[in-house]
Amino acid sequence: MTAPNSAERRVCWDARDLLWKCLDDNHDSAEACQKQQSHFQDKCPAQWVRYFSKRRDFLKYKERIQTEGFTPAEGPREKS
Amino acid sequence: QAVHSGPITELHRRKQLAPPIRMTQMLCQSRSQSQGSDPLNSGVTVKLRTRLLVSLLFGGGLLGAWAYVYWEKQQRRWQQRTEQLRKVALGQGTFSLVDHTGRRRTKQDFLGSWVLLYFGFTHCPDICPDELDKLSAAVAVLDQDASLPPVQPLFITVDPERDGVPALARYVKDFHPRLIGLTGTPEEVKHAGRDYRVYASPGPKDQDGDYIVDHSILIYLLSPDGLFLDYYNRMKSSEQIADSVRNHMRSYQRL
Repeated sequence: MTAPNSAERRVCWDARDLLWKCLDDNHDSAEACQKQQSHFQDKCPAQWVRYFSKRRDFLKYKERIQTEGFTPAEGPREKS
Repeated sequence: QAVHSGPITELHRRKQLAPPIRMTQMLCQSRSQSQGSDPLNSGVTVKLRTRLLVSLLFGGGLLGAWAYVYWEKQQRRWQQRTEQLRKVALGQGTFSLVDHTGRRRTKQDFLGSWVLLYFGFTHCPDICPDELDKLSAAVAVLDQDASLPPVQPLFITVDPERDGVPALARYVKDFHPRLIGLTGTPEEVKHAGRDYRVYASPGPKDQDGDYIVDHSILIYLLSPDGLFLDYYNRMKSSEQIADSVRNHMRSYQRL
């Protein structure tokens, strides 16, 4: 399968941006953004859909850590 | 309400009181000295003006000295970095690859030109297009300066399985017109990547056989000797890259 060209990349990125804006406006509610989600999956290769979803999860996680802090994992309870 | 006390605040209080006393003493002295000859006021103001001028010149001199020392330190730091990168000695080897027109190219073919090199793959979702856009923009900025030699942008794939000559040809035309894409057999590509210590790891294939290649994201600057001089990561803008390349070119010519 051939890689997306410049125009196709842009269409995919725009669809992703629309989806992310919808999710931002609806507190990450997947139900509210079904239309954008299916448009996004239509315009982007499956690998890219997965890649961008993981990217969004990561960006959200990073934002959470930066604003709320995090508790480090506890070490082993038993002495090794 | 906290009351400030202690030796430091005592000193502070004394400092605040001291200057006015000294100033009036100085004025009284100058007044008594100039009383005989000049009118009182002009004598005092002339002394003040020269004092001000001397202070300004002295201050300006200090500032100039500081600026020079700062600039010199920046230069030295930059030279040290270049030396360290030279010791790392990436890109010492040769590579033999095929360009996007099907022509075989080796490292020798690019000696004599400044090269900005990026490793990526055509199925890359966003990072490679962004970096290549940035690279193209940096080269375009440098093109505008007629006093500088032209820079050769290069793109080497880390995905030889899918990025053959036709795929590369389709890909590179979206970027700078002088951009050359390079590919080859998996062995040739791996050899070129190893020379620049590029990390590349294809991910799992999905049901369409599609996969993403995880790889290190850097733009490398090579001198006309083919030596690795500098690198630029995701955070460097095209302007910063252009400035850095210009800097390298100027110091290189001086040598």
